Amino acid sequence: MMSDSATPALLVPPSTVVLVSGGSRGLGLAIVTDLLESGLKVAAFARTVTPELAKLADAHPDRSHVDSVDVTDLAATQAFVRAAEGRLGPIDGLVNNAAVGQDSLHVHTANADIARIIETNLTAPLQLTRLVVRRMLAQGRRGRIVNVTSICAQRGFPGLVAYSATKGGMDAATRSLARELGGRVLVNAVAPGFFASEMSAVLGQTQLDQIVRRTPTGHLTEPAEVVPVVRLLLRDQTNINGQAIVVDGAASI
Amino acid sequence: MTELSRAQIRELMGQVLKNQGKVLPDDDGADLREVGFRSLDFSELALRVEDETGEELNFDAPGLRRIATVGDVLDFLVELQRQ
Repeated sequence: MMSDSATPALLVPPSTVVLVSGGSRGLGLAIVTDLLESGLKVAAFARTVTPELAKLADAHPDRSHVDSVDVTDLAATQAFVRAAEGRLGPIDGLVNNAAVGQDSLHVHTANADIARIIETNLTAPLQLTRLVVRRMLAQGRRGRIVNVTSICAQRGFPGLVAYSATKGGMDAATRSLARELGGRVLVNAVAPGFFASEMSAVLGQTQLDQIVRRTPTGHLTEPAEVVPVVRLLLRDQTNINGQAIVVDGAASI
Repeated sequence: MTELSRAQIRELMGQVLKNQGKVLPDDDGADLREVGFRSLDFSELALRVEDETGEELNFDAPGLRRIATVGDVLDFLVELQRQ
């Protein structure tokens, strides 16, 4: 193997053209919104382009590229990346956000559902990362990657076994990629705690209140509290690399 | 596919509880917390039903959270077999 030591003194510049997967709602939409408002160019795809994402793209026609793509469809993601780069310029930032959730005990989760969760949350982002990094390296560019993982990657929660496995896998991939890419690409993960919106969909008010009481900051995480961390990792000069940053108000500490 | 009747499922539920030294009350309205029938007991019961019918019974957790009584358990599993 040739030397894998990092080239000294060359810093990774802030990302200017960022690809966001799963950008149509929730945290993904909040990230797309924030990056566009920060003046960046953003390419975003999701299985379904929601009216909110379409409106955002209409408001920033020269700095956005939006389309309906299933992240597990490799040919479609390749076509999207080419189209996005043709319109916005070379991608130098990637946010792997697209994922499917789970709320079923492992023994009662169909094998097909386990396969679908792994394909969407682990295989697809690894392949998208490979695609984007190959283009970065081939063109001699530097870049940044942010993987949106979850507190489930580090702590155990019933009903989320396969989901946790995929998020833990992405945390692990984050560390190895950061090493492998030798400082040419900064790779980090942001691991939010449970969002109030998703918790309230499956838990009762009593259980929500219990979780809030166990959270030192006194509230569940909101997407708006995660967005600045993603932006920091894409834009700021920090030397943070290979880390999974938990944003959960210390609920898991 | 062979479906288990409500009465057959009730019998299996009684066995699950008996193995833990607990008793399944006759009243379908009995509260599961008072009976001591927990979520993993529900999993065990569902898997026993699977063993009998040879068909997997997969379901999401939110459905389970609405189950509060013995009757709810039986209704849920009877309905699940039909899906």
